[in-house]
Amino acid sequence: MQRHLLRRRALIASAGLAAAAPALAACGPDIASDDESGASELLKAPDRTKGEITIWDRSGDLFEVFEGTIAAFNAKYPDITVNHVAVDIDAKLQNTLITGADVPDGVFLDDAKVGGFTDYLWDLGDVLAPYAADIAQQKLDVNTVAGGVYGVPFDLDPGLLFYNATALEAAGIDVDAIATYDDLLQAARDYQAAVPGAAPIHLEQSAFLGQLQLEMYASQLGTSIADADGNLRLDTPEFEQILTFLDTVRAEGLGTRAEYLTPTDIAELDNGNQVFYPWAIWFSFAPQQVLTETTGDWRATQLPAWETGGARSGAMGGSSFVLPKDGKNADLAWLFYEFLMFDPAGYAAVWGPGEVYPEGLATSIPSYTPAADPAKPLYSEITALGGQDLWTVATEAGAQIPGGTPTPAWWTGAVDYLGNNVQRMLDGDMTPQEVLAQSSEDIQTNLVDRQ
Amino acid sequence: MTAPTATATRRAPRAGRGTARLRRRAAPYLFVLPFVAIFAAFSVYPLFFTARLSFTDWRGTGAATWVGWDNYTYLLTNPAFWSSLGNSAILWLLIVPVQIVLGILVAVLLNNAKLRLRGLYRVAFIVPFVTPLVAVAQIWVVLFDQRYGAVNAFLGLFGLPDTGWLTTSAWAKPTLALLFLWKTTGFIVIILLSGLQSINASIYEAADLDGASKARQLWNITVPLLRRTIGFAVVLQTLAVFQMFAEPFVVTQGGPYNSTTTAGYYLYNHITRADLGTGAANSFLLVVLVMALSLLFVRLLRAKD
Amino acid sequence: MAANEATRPRVGSHLFLMLLLVAFLFPVGWALLSAFKPAEDIVRAPLAFDPSTFNLDNYTAMFQDVPIGQGFLNTAVVLLFKGACTMFFAPLAALAFAKYQWIGKNLVFGAVLVTLMLPTIVLIIPLLLEMKELGWVNTYQALILPGAVDAFAIFWMRQVISAVPDELLDAARVDGCGEFAIFWRVVVPVIRPGLAGLGVLTVMNIYNDFVWPVVAASNERMATLQVVLSTLAQNITGNRIGADYAAVTGELLAASSVALIPLLVLFILLQRHFINGILAGSVKG
Repeated sequence: MQRHLLRRRALIASAGLAAAAPALAACGPDIASDDESGASELLKAPDRTKGEITIWDRSGDLFEVFEGTIAAFNAKYPDITVNHVAVDIDAKLQNTLITGADVPDGVFLDDAKVGGFTDYLWDLGDVLAPYAADIAQQKLDVNTVAGGVYGVPFDLDPGLLFYNATALEAAGIDVDAIATYDDLLQAARDYQAAVPGAAPIHLEQSAFLGQLQLEMYASQLGTSIADADGNLRLDTPEFEQILTFLDTVRAEGLGTRAEYLTPTDIAELDNGNQVFYPWAIWFSFAPQQVLTETTGDWRATQLPAWETGGARSGAMGGSSFVLPKDGKNADLAWLFYEFLMFDPAGYAAVWGPGEVYPEGLATSIPSYTPAADPAKPLYSEITALGGQDLWTVATEAGAQIPGGTPTPAWWTGAVDYLGNNVQRMLDGDMTPQEVLAQSSEDIQTNLVDRQ
Repeated sequence: MTAPTATATRRAPRAGRGTARLRRRAAPYLFVLPFVAIFAAFSVYPLFFTARLSFTDWRGTGAATWVGWDNYTYLLTNPAFWSSLGNSAILWLLIVPVQIVLGILVAVLLNNAKLRLRGLYRVAFIVPFVTPLVAVAQIWVVLFDQRYGAVNAFLGLFGLPDTGWLTTSAWAKPTLALLFLWKTTGFIVIILLSGLQSINASIYEAADLDGASKARQLWNITVPLLRRTIGFAVVLQTLAVFQMFAEPFVVTQGGPYNSTTTAGYYLYNHITRADLGTGAANSFLLVVLVMALSLLFVRLLRAKD
Repeated sequence: MAANEATRPRVGSHLFLMLLLVAFLFPVGWALLSAFKPAEDIVRAPLAFDPSTFNLDNYTAMFQDVPIGQGFLNTAVVLLFKGACTMFFAPLAALAFAKYQWIGKNLVFGAVLVTLMLPTIVLIIPLLLEMKELGWVNTYQALILPGAVDAFAIFWMRQVISAVPDELLDAARVDGCGEFAIFWRVVVPVIRPGLAGLGVLTVMNIYNDFVWPVVAASNERMATLQVVLSTLAQNITGNRIGADYAAVTGELLAASSVALIPLLVLFILLQRHFINGILAGSVKG
């Protein structure tokens, strides 16, 4: 296929609108112009510390947490005013970037979505350089596209095995003995034998979160849906092993199929039917703020390994901060994020005890290694986890997450194919092999080939 | 819907005949000018832009590359595109016939001036139409929840098993259709009621004398006489169903398994992926389809006259 | 016809209408009442209503978290200007279609029909880029002007005005009325019931519109009420991870109630005008 730059006249002619050409010559915004004129894409640290920055965060717990850190930031930079807004980022960001109007200086964004916006974002390679060596490799990987780094890594979200210690103990199950996913299956069978009607393992029913969880399992195996060059690597033994495990849970009736923390899910957690939740650390939100009957019964441990001696954790989800090029004070926003992520006073303000999480932000750990020091906890005993020291569990797990798992720009688009097909498998309508073959084909035609 | 002719041309005012006539000639142009200006600025201009865009691979930034008919062939050979049209068609089948039948029944009952509580019914049926869709969507999500929803709780009283109204592809479309029916049937009732009021009551009196049953009268007198109003309602709802976007956007996000990815929602998917060229091509295909359908219905109505 | 034959269907029709009435009012009534329940109970026991547990917690939380006042203000501004545009210019255009012969009439009426057929979603991106060119992103004019003269309103008013006798217009001309004066002094008073109906319908459409406002108002200071609601709803539907499903549902129902009540009151007060107004624009059988 021959591709050449759009020429108005050719386009109009072939659109069959030639007759109207003179009138149309000035019609529509000029989409062929690109006024960046080779300006550097690399953000430079500012030489000023005065101004106003607009920061977008999604509403919910994290908005409140970041709101609480502004005072600490202003203690260091008193002349930077932070205009902090709760925004429906999925609905707003793309349109805002396209129009270039009222563009925020910094935006909180799911890691999986960073790749889709890189055209509009500052490359942070320069400013991050002093810290890069100390940032979890997995987080740098997800923010790196074609050699540029487009997000300030925020949280590291190690996958953990959450379990209802009280219920499992009553059934005589020893969680410490679970070292591999086969052990987990056996433990689930044993629990079901002890508690008839129980469906011990969580099976995610949301296509998006299901795909995210799949990536957690894959991350444990050091792989992901696509490699650094954007080539698919889905139809591989690793993914087949994972899907076969999920399919076994389904086939043997060992799983509770529900969407993450919807009422059904919560009820099954609270009534002791669902006792294993292999999920990112942010599941700890549930015992802390959602569960009523079983809060305090839950504990977290490392994930089982796929084979004996394998990594006991993988990354699931997580977010970063991106700085749009059209943001007027993006350089000052960098100071904000630099403070929050890399300054001890900053990360203590984020993860330490605060108004929303009186015991600390125990739904993630920092991705900046000096901040995630097992010896210097930012939070420790969590009452909702029966006083367990989640910090130690999480930082040890986080250290095991293999790197080399980049996120392609089309990751969210893949949910229509991979995410949906995994759900079909959990419905019993597809085999793991069919899921991988079909999804690979669909993603290749609809996403990879159309970039 | 006949265009009336200005019979007034026959009689002209005496004084200032020239200027008055000129004014009268100019008036309609001035009267439609605001509409035309808005139409040109915010419909025509964007449409031409969409036409241009549909032949490029523009992603919202940088230079656009001319790709010829690529976006169109991609869509027309893509099963997902056809299934989005299929979803809209199925929703149409689930909505429009039911709505018309229900609408006629209710309108006929409400048209009876002796009906008690008539005012109450008229208000009650229009309340959903006034309710913000965003609110309705969340109400639907909670009411139709598989485990805790009021709907399953109610059906459980009759021993029926829990149904995954919004989580199975078999039920998601009917559930969405129900929302649409609930939200808009009141408006259709009022439109049909307006048609009924123009039917002369003496026709029914004659039928009563002939001993025709009420059901027969409905079928043999009311429906044929209401044909134009019914046709108007059908065209209106066909447009609405094929343009449907907000309902799946707020209730199901197109799922499960894209079973509620309507034509409009599928188009939105391209936009969220910044695939604006494909989105533009999809827009054009959708506009052509909607216009063709409207023309088809208008023709069908005319043919029966 | 025998008396019992005449009454029997009436019982049946009442039963039918009553069933429909319950089905139509239940969801709204449920939402209004549930907003007073503790948030967890809304999702866990949606059919249980225990007045002793009723409280205003959902409302307090909502007013604290959601800029609903700003939403009301923006909606009011848009309603005022966009509503005025449609209420004035749509009947004016309709008069041109109903009572005048002019070159291009069919073409322009075609434009009205085309506007009716254009799905909003189709124009979202090009319109947004146009707003960018005009420098109108996050302004009131971006919310007001596109679609300011509603096509359905023109279509409908054309029906209404067609029913006005031509003689009335001619008589006014004989009296020396200018063409605009005919519209203002003759047509408008005659079609007042239709205009009342149009008024209610226009308020409803603008008040409840959200697809374009969500896109055109990316800045929260421009967010209309519906944008505020949909932002809140996104916390539930959009895989929002750190949001408590029950709490957000409670807040959303409270916000929805607050958004619904003004319109509901307006409608109940004006329902006679609205319904009679639509009846005035009847599409004759």
